[in-house]
Amino acid sequence: MMFGNDKRGKLFRKEKGVKKKDVYDMLLSIGPAKKVVIYFLSILLVIIYMLPFYWMFLKMFRSSIFAHFPPDLNPFSLTSLGNFIVNFRDVISFGSFPLWYFNSVFVAVLVVSGSVAVGSAAGYAFARLHFKGRDLLFYAVLATLMIPFPVISIASYIFMLDLGWISTYQGLILPEIVSGLNVFIFRQYFMTIPVDVENAAKLDGLNPFQIFYRISAPMARPAFAAATIYTFIGTWNNFLWPLMEVHSQNLFTLPLVLNFFKGVNGTQIYWNEMMTVVFLTLIPTLVIYILFERYFVEGFTLSGVKG
Amino acid sequence: MNNTSTKNKRRKIDLKLEARYGYLLVAPLMALIVIFTFFPAIYSFAISLFHYNPFGHQVFFIGLANYDSVLHSGLFAKALLDVLYYTVVVVSIQTILAFMFAILFNHKMMISRISRAFVFIPAIVSSVALSIIFIWVFSDQGLINYFTSFFGIKPINFFFSTTYAFPAIMALNIFSTTPYFMIIYLAGLQTIPRSVLEAASLDGVKTGWNRFRYIYAPMLNFTTFIVVILGIIGSMQLFDQIYVITDGGPSHATYVPLMFIYNRTFIYFGDVGLSAAASFILFFAILFITLMQRRYLKETRWT
Repeated sequence: MMFGNDKRGKLFRKEKGVKKKDVYDMLLSIGPAKKVVIYFLSILLVIIYMLPFYWMFLKMFRSSIFAHFPPDLNPFSLTSLGNFIVNFRDVISFGSFPLWYFNSVFVAVLVVSGSVAVGSAAGYAFARLHFKGRDLLFYAVLATLMIPFPVISIASYIFMLDLGWISTYQGLILPEIVSGLNVFIFRQYFMTIPVDVENAAKLDGLNPFQIFYRISAPMARPAFAAATIYTFIGTWNNFLWPLMEVHSQNLFTLPLVLNFFKGVNGTQIYWNEMMTVVFLTLIPTLVIYILFERYFVEGFTLSGVKG
Repeated sequence: MNNTSTKNKRRKIDLKLEARYGYLLVAPLMALIVIFTFFPAIYSFAISLFHYNPFGHQVFFIGLANYDSVLHSGLFAKALLDVLYYTVVVVSIQTILAFMFAILFNHKMMISRISRAFVFIPAIVSSVALSIIFIWVFSDQGLINYFTSFFGIKPINFFFSTTYAFPAIMALNIFSTTPYFMIIYLAGLQTIPRSVLEAASLDGVKTGWNRFRYIYAPMLNFTTFIVVILGIIGSMQLFDQIYVITDGGPSHATYVPLMFIYNRTFIYFGDVGLSAAASFILFFAILFITLMQRRYLKETRWT
């Protein structure tokens, strides 16, 4: 704090050469002492948050199935690429791992594309088009946000039994497509696009669907990005519905595989192989996260969760 | 005159066309909502009024008897109270931590950007994967016991202890959901105009605590409301971590309502009506708490 005050005093004294904006920057500037605290706390949090993942990462390169005590956190002890290759080979030859991986990708891709297509179309209609009962229908969409999934899960399960959809792709995919949050994100975003652009397109003779598809949707890229990311991660990590829906190993998705692999050797978890499975299931979410990190905050701003 | 009437006619046709496209665009969504959300919700309520065994095909109406037997089964009542306790602890700690993290990471510094990207990772990781990593973290060979061993504390096998299993689950979920709510707070903090901070600093609001007290906390009132509500809804539905790590044990120490519902339906293959009634009781509990929250916060001014 002392440093900050000093600087400000100096600045005010030689005011002539300084722009007003700079003075304000100085008012909010962070002194060196405070900087040290920020650095310390930030790095401490990163260490706390990364330690479990760090151990996971090391364990993939080790040959011992046990978790030894004290935990070996030295990155160079007992780790080798050869161990990783052995672990990796053991994992992908376990059960029908490639099929399970495919199931997860297939389900996630279809749920995401379905949810984004259906949600963006409806979001556009709710934002722009006028029709009778529009508000009522929108409230119905919002109502789905109030119904927690477990409440409908029992009946959904019975419904799937009645349809004969237990352990089927359609049973995994179709009930997951509805996302009130996506509709909400799209509606909010489409409302911010200037109407003039659409009116111009209307004069050119485009019908509302063409306007949505050719003009407005391409302009709503951030909304599409946010919806895609959230839906993908949600579906990829979903556990409860596949657990209820899938009773056959052929339809396993990765969270089910993780749980299955955990218990496959009785009470002893084979930690090196287990961590390899965990890492393999994390890769797609990590890649998406690294590529689209900036959309994560944006997504929340879009959905109207703000001060 | 003639001109305007054709214009009006034109407009009417336009509106009709627009309405038609409006219905067309919302139709797929509404169909899916009706089939996969509203119908199961109503079906679920109907089932809760029946003795319903889908496997033995015994179905008969019994009114509210399922609700009665669920509420009077000691296990469900215990599970509900436990999850309420869990919710109070987890939501209060994670809300405070999330706010603190967000303030820490809201600086325009390289380190803030990088570290908040790292800290957010648990929020995108699957709950099952994280649970499995945390089986190790809290095991007697794990990270926590490694650190406590420096202070001469004897190793504890957290998830096998009736006293520590539930607090360990709480710690795991505070760890993993705090970053998620941190992002909501960050989104909120970024909407606070710089001019507000500048003006306040001229008025002498400069230190971290004063800024929190007079600027951040009041301006992010609504964000806090959202964070608390989402936190409550999520915590009351605790399941994945319990199922993967402790399966409700040891000796029902971590038994939660969804565990009860799941076991009743899938393990004991018994009366689905009972599970449906239990899930509605859980739903009403969530609804009641959220509404209470809203009522309580109504007196505070949204800004």
